[in-house]
Amino acid sequence: MTPFVLFLVRRLLFALLLVLVVSTGSMWLAHLAPGDYTTQLRGPGVSADTLARERERLGLDRPLSEQYGDWLVGLTRFDLGTSFRYSRPVTELVGERAANTAVLAGVALLIATGVGLPLGVIAGSSASGVVVSMIRGVSVFGMSLPPLVTSLLFALFAARTGWFPIGGMTSLRAVDPSLPARLVDIGWHLVLPALALALPVAATLERLLARSLRETLTEPFIMAALARGIPRRRVVWRHALRVAVRPVAGIYGVIVGSLLSGSFAVEIVTSWPGLGRLMFEALRSRDVQLVAGCAAIGSVFLAFGNLLSDLGLVAADPRLREE
Amino acid sequence: MVRHRHACIVLLLAGLDLSACGGEPGDAALTERPGGSGPVVGTVRGEPRTFNHLLAGENESVLVSRLTQAGLVRINRTTDEVEPWLAEGWTSAADGMTHTLTLRSGVTFADGEPFTSADVLFTFEALYDEAVGSVLADSLRFDGLPIAVEAPDEQTVVVHFPVPYSPGVRVLDSLPMLPRHKLEPALRDGTLREAWGVTTRPSELTGMGPFVLESYVPGQRLVFTRNPAYWRHDDAGVQLPYLDRITLEIVGDQSAEILRLQTGEVDFISGNVRAEDFVAVSRAVSDGTVQLHNLGVDVNADFLFFNLRPEAMEDDPRRAWLQHRDWRLAVSHAVDRTAFANTVYLGLAQPVYGPITPGNQTWFYPDLPAFDHDLEQANVLLTGLGLTDRDGDGVREDPSGVPVRFALLTQQGNSSRERAAQVLQADLAQLGIGVDVVPIEFGALIERVTSMNFDAAYFGFLASDTDPAGNLDFWLSSGSFHFWNPNQPTPATEWEARIDQLASQQLRVADMDRRLELFDEIQTIVAENQPLLHFAARRLSVATSGRMANVEPSVMRPHILWNADTLAVTGPE
Repeated sequence: MTPFVLFLVRRLLFALLLVLVVSTGSMWLAHLAPGDYTTQLRGPGVSADTLARERERLGLDRPLSEQYGDWLVGLTRFDLGTSFRYSRPVTELVGERAANTAVLAGVALLIATGVGLPLGVIAGSSASGVVVSMIRGVSVFGMSLPPLVTSLLFALFAARTGWFPIGGMTSLRAVDPSLPARLVDIGWHLVLPALALALPVAATLERLLARSLRETLTEPFIMAALARGIPRRRVVWRHALRVAVRPVAGIYGVIVGSLLSGSFAVEIVTSWPGLGRLMFEALRSRDVQLVAGCAAIGSVFLAFGNLLSDLGLVAADPRLREE
Repeated sequence: MVRHRHACIVLLLAGLDLSACGGEPGDAALTERPGGSGPVVGTVRGEPRTFNHLLAGENESVLVSRLTQAGLVRINRTTDEVEPWLAEGWTSAADGMTHTLTLRSGVTFADGEPFTSADVLFTFEALYDEAVGSVLADSLRFDGLPIAVEAPDEQTVVVHFPVPYSPGVRVLDSLPMLPRHKLEPALRDGTLREAWGVTTRPSELTGMGPFVLESYVPGQRLVFTRNPAYWRHDDAGVQLPYLDRITLEIVGDQSAEILRLQTGEVDFISGNVRAEDFVAVSRAVSDGTVQLHNLGVDVNADFLFFNLRPEAMEDDPRRAWLQHRDWRLAVSHAVDRTAFANTVYLGLAQPVYGPITPGNQTWFYPDLPAFDHDLEQANVLLTGLGLTDRDGDGVREDPSGVPVRFALLTQQGNSSRERAAQVLQADLAQLGIGVDVVPIEFGALIERVTSMNFDAAYFGFLASDTDPAGNLDFWLSSGSFHFWNPNQPTPATEWEARIDQLASQQLRVADMDRRLELFDEIQTIVAENQPLLHFAARRLSVATSGRMANVEPSVMRPHILWNADTLAVTGPE
């Protein structure tokens, strides 16, 4: 078994452990919160007997260890149980929403990478000046804005200008459009939520890369390359960047994972039908199986992000392949 | 105070003491003729849990049911009167227990199958089926017993209440008629719970409501199109509904809903306009893009209440005063209700003194004893309980030195409730009473309150009907919604015993004036004893786009879509 395969196996085992720990933790925490799914069914005219029958039907009257045991057995068959709220298999619900979140996260990541990295190179490789100061200032501002605030600001912007839809994933009044029109429509709806998610990430990437690049440019091998007369632009983009990008690659996986796990704040404000919103609603209604299912898929994404991060590091630093 | 009376006119027919109701709500009288029937877009806050109303009582599932299904009778949300719906009329026996309903002829489900008394029998059978476990069943049981239904012929249904029940067929408003031809196999094989889930293909659903569900995209929207077989016509003979299509976009946040309304993306929003959104909506109103409909005072008002279960505070030294009537009167005197309304609801509220607000025009009793803002009187009452500031630290102590302090639970994330708790904290601090405000998540709040693990709480609930008989769980000492001390085996106090007696009596009285008298006395007893302290009720407004016509909003929910069949539009999309 080559070191690379061993590495992949190790990562896979870690991912399984992560999924198990995170989903188990979520399930137990959701159980420990006061009340259960039937709490919200209370109302005038709903008798205690009806609530007791509902608890029995959902299995909520059984000991927690027993409920957890059943859930674990289901997990071995990739069965995450049934949502109390929707009476649907959790895997179905999570699958639907995870796809929407993946689209949003993917576009946000593209924007963040496409904006953050080039700006990081410019800020890290240039002498102090107006442009660098501006980039730094905007980045610090961007990092300090949580996605909730940015999404609210963008929603206001959309409302004032009418240039973009305020929320949703597809147009309300468009009924069954053709596939290309539908894709354009989704793309149009994606712009603001993706930007709201991407801005803080882009700012983080820019800051990390700029600092790392500035340090790398003081390394002896860079001095030597410049002394040999290699153009500075080439030294920066071909030699220094490859080294400087390591800390970015290190954090990239975490960013991928957290974006894919769903940003409930952005999803709620912009009505994006993703995983974050589903989990938020599941938490509010004490739909424990759905909470655990959302947490499980979120941790799968996180493990996937970490794997990407490790692979990125290996690609950036050939020495790691030997390790 | 003018009080509306029920639509039912009591008729004394030669020897037969029967009351008869009927009429033609099938002919809708409109304030405005529609200029167009195009689609409209609205919002809902969450997703339906099921398309079977027997199984879920939350707003979204009920709304789907209101749009796609119909009941035998309907409560007109603007007049508060019960009116014939799928039943074109009924006669009621003098004992208040038996009602004979005549079904409208020629009515079909959306799929073309005729509606007959067999469907009514089937609906009641499904309602009470143990395997179905309907959430509506409890509210249609009386003294724990179901309504018995029989069908002498295809167009006639006789319902027998197990006990005299003065509101009569009014209670049937909440029960949609189900299609026996579609659902009987599922009921027989015990799978009715799964039969109309949210993944059921819309073509499998059928009802007699004004619309049919065309599609449901989870997390995004519900689309309804007009039911071509709908039975109702306007007074010019035009078949209803006017609208071709209603789309309900799922928007989880009210601020986002308001933004969409302002920009014309939607024609109406799910709830009422919050006080904090009023300025933004008013701007849109002055632009002419939005119409604001003032509904008057809400029928529901939030309230403060203390834990009055003696056993719950058995070992608590504060019990002597925290469960005392004078304590509650002192707290009531401590609050300036006008200032409360101005601060909590930004002026869009009216001071109230009891659970029935002026919004409930039929049952509101304006002459309740009022414990108005009077710090001096509050001080006298507190001192009478032995609560004085003994150590000069600004907080009163009881005779044993225990500080006069309590924890006030309220709903986290509900801005008006959180503001109200802060106002109460500030008002009571003036009297040397310490209040620890604890905002907690709604599920946890309900759990704490129902398990009697609290000192005091501030929140509210939505009454299921304006008629108090529909909310007996709240009034009766044995009720599970008798918040301050629920599920009492026997009434803990004399005044609660009296309320139980009056509530039971008014259920057996057919004469509306007598019912009102009895209920006035109930309200007076509650106001005198203040188990719930009411301070203000919101003035409700709903907003729609400028193009919507025939909007007859109601203080009861759903505010706008309760009469979806006569809604129309007058302008372009």
